[in-house]
Amino acid sequence: MHTLLTSDIVSELRRIVGEKGLITAPNQLQTYECDGLTAFRVPPAAVLLPESTEQVQNILRLCHREKIAFVARGAGTGLSGGALPAEGSIVIGLSRMNRILNIDIPNQQITVQPGVINANVTAAVAPDGYFYAPDPSSQTVCSIGGNIAENAGGAHCLKYGFTVTHVLEMTVVLPNGELVTLGGKVPSAAGYDLAGVFIGSEGTLGVATEMTLRIMRKPETVQVILAAFNSISAAAQSVSDVIASSQLPAAMEIMDRLSIEAAEISVHPNYPACEALLLIELDGPEAEVNLQMATVIEICKNNGAWETRLAIDDNARFLVWKGRKAAFAAAGRLSPNYIVQDGVIPRTSLPAVLEQLNAMAAADHLRVTNVFHAGDGNLHPIVLYNRDNPGEEERAINLSLRILDVCVEAGGSITGEHGVGREKQCSMSYMFSDPDLETMQRVRRAFDPFNLANPDKLFPTPRLCGERSRGAYAPHPVEASGIAEVF
Amino acid sequence: MNSADEISQIAEDLSSITGPEYSRRGINDITVSPADTRQIASVLDFAYKKRLAVSAQGGETKQGWGQGVRPSIYISLARLNRIIEHPWQDLTCTVQAGCTWSSLQRTLMLHRQFVALDPLFEDRATVGGVLATNDSGALRHRYGSLRDLVIGMTLVLPDGTIAKTGGKVVKNVAGYDLCKLMTGSFGTLAIITEANFRLHPIPQHIRDFSIAASHASDFAPLLAMIRASHLLTQSLQIRRSDSGFHLDVRLNAHPESHHDGILSQMTRDEGFVLEEAPESIWKAREILFAPDAIVLRIATLPVDVCEYADKLQLLRPVIQVQSISQANGLHEVALRGSSNEIEAIIRQLRADATHPHTTISVLQQNRDIEVVAFDISSPVLSLMKAVKDQFDPNCILNPGKFFAEA
Repeated sequence: MHTLLTSDIVSELRRIVGEKGLITAPNQLQTYECDGLTAFRVPPAAVLLPESTEQVQNILRLCHREKIAFVARGAGTGLSGGALPAEGSIVIGLSRMNRILNIDIPNQQITVQPGVINANVTAAVAPDGYFYAPDPSSQTVCSIGGNIAENAGGAHCLKYGFTVTHVLEMTVVLPNGELVTLGGKVPSAAGYDLAGVFIGSEGTLGVATEMTLRIMRKPETVQVILAAFNSISAAAQSVSDVIASSQLPAAMEIMDRLSIEAAEISVHPNYPACEALLLIELDGPEAEVNLQMATVIEICKNNGAWETRLAIDDNARFLVWKGRKAAFAAAGRLSPNYIVQDGVIPRTSLPAVLEQLNAMAAADHLRVTNVFHAGDGNLHPIVLYNRDNPGEEERAINLSLRILDVCVEAGGSITGEHGVGREKQCSMSYMFSDPDLETMQRVRRAFDPFNLANPDKLFPTPRLCGERSRGAYAPHPVEASGIAEVF
Repeated sequence: MNSADEISQIAEDLSSITGPEYSRRGINDITVSPADTRQIASVLDFAYKKRLAVSAQGGETKQGWGQGVRPSIYISLARLNRIIEHPWQDLTCTVQAGCTWSSLQRTLMLHRQFVALDPLFEDRATVGGVLATNDSGALRHRYGSLRDLVIGMTLVLPDGTIAKTGGKVVKNVAGYDLCKLMTGSFGTLAIITEANFRLHPIPQHIRDFSIAASHASDFAPLLAMIRASHLLTQSLQIRRSDSGFHLDVRLNAHPESHHDGILSQMTRDEGFVLEEAPESIWKAREILFAPDAIVLRIATLPVDVCEYADKLQLLRPVIQVQSISQANGLHEVALRGSSNEIEAIIRQLRADATHPHTTISVLQQNRDIEVVAFDISSPVLSLMKAVKDQFDPNCILNPGKFFAEA
């Protein structure tokens, strides 16, 4: 499809955002042709960088009138292609809307614009002893708007929940340009919980331009234990035993040998060299944490941990987490190219599923390294490959998608925090039946009857998924507006 | 309203779906008790084609919540009362919607786990009814509301479509989270037949305390201090009784953390006395929801909780007022008096709510009063209506329940 942007439309867009807010030069558009999932690239017709809710409204009104598809973009760190432009679409980059608007400590709330970086929210309230709980690994660069689109998680959502748990209210521009307030600064807004549906809708229901977030009291004490095991199974069993002992740690993470090595080369966290490293973080009142930690250490030792290392002070903890959070980037030290997957399985099926994954990787002559949010069964297998070897990228993509099938077969999900985006939309019909997907489409049609907001994402389409697609069909904007027909 | 002949015909058609023993004819309506999700789909498909109003029915503890017209068909979930699985090491469970809340919790307790929610009338209230009304009690302070606890659902849409949403794992962002949309939708979009919950370990240490004062505002500085402290508070509420106001606190900390001592010191410093309290203080909510009371749910900002609780008492002695306010800003207020007086008071409260964040909803109304139950502003109301139209274009599920003019 060719771009629908006539010179009149471009001038109108320029009037909305000003000269500095409009990008049309092909070399500059390149920056926006993909997000963190670099295997997929589509150049946008134009990029707009609005500075206010009103500008976003005006852009969407124009898109609505001209039936132009739009893709909202935060920091572009997403790993599922959620911010990948649709063909002929414009991209609305929200990086200039990066102000913290209000900090309300007594009510434990903060109001920000979507371009604010995740870590800056915590930084803004840390002097008062508070923090913002969702902490995706990319938290130093990813933005709150993107976090809302993807319902971002992180290592600590085992205890603290996901982005959806922490967003109280949002100002949202609907695909027709109308402004609505979803949720509320007070609990239990009347009517349907549209905020709950919007969060995690991957930019397919509108654009959030202002959000009030819940902030939490920083725990009195935080302690992290590193435990080294000879097998992933032993580490996984420790996780189950901790759960069975009625404790809810702030985080429980497992890294395998390859990812430990990569982290070591990359940021030198001084991890013990072992088959499986279990990292458990406990937080809360000091006396409580001390008692719980004693139990946790005993559980690890009973399961064969040959080294346990306790990190209590800020520096030691920072180093432990630095290694874990660098795991994805560190994969670059192991291989020129890699795909990070994001499957979820019931925690108890971890050993069996891992065995299956290893066998699949071996059969395909590919290396897969693993880091998991073990507490909630969220796996991040990293498929390593070299794009220069003919056919290897296809094999790697194929393997990474078959890993998701295994997760679904184990009773889990194709994505725990990265989103479906472009990457996994064909896997949606493996996880959900036709009626399930059609039911979701009802929500989409209520918000976006012309399918303009991030089209061709999240749901399987016949064009992209071929016969595997059993999903509901939504007309392309060009088709809906009568410009083209489907043959 | 259907004629007697029509009712008879409908009853006959429905009994062919559920079997005659599970279809009961009333004067103006029929109650059916389907055996499973499929039968519910058949009943809805029938009602949808005939455009007959339908209500789902659980333990009948909250049928008077929200407004609505009387339906032709009640679908009782009584036979869908099984706990399907409790994979305790995964901290999740799957349960049918007709299961009572207490029977679910009893099963989970075998592994010292629970759904961290304390709704009203747990012995009668069903999982489906609690979900549809988004009920929550004092546990919400620590664990959040149902939206943070439900991870998957099986739904039957008005046209008989059976759909699943979410899943059985705690972490899952595949597709739209329709659990959120269904929770608190008062049965207007679909009938929930099964739900998956994330579970929590039951706290090992529990101590209940209460502090008395004549005005809720007296508590404001202490309440602010507790909220900003590191105390492991599970619940925190302001309760009005005949003898005045009480600030109720439940602590979860291990005895060696000495949180009771810290709380006691904070209380003394503010000039109050901390007393051990019976567990029953957390059930006081149930008194508000006696059948003769009109119950409002009012939401204010957390910092305004105490002042607002006092303000509610100014409505007396014209009408009787009982209230319980959670520290998060959620007030439940039982009103007793003539309909005229109550209508006037609700209008007055709404007019006085100068603070843009205060919302006032009429939750329980077992008799007709002429005020809108849910006060939702217009742009977002249109969006909600668009959602309703997509799910229920013939408007058969609880018509009038959310949208007064529907």
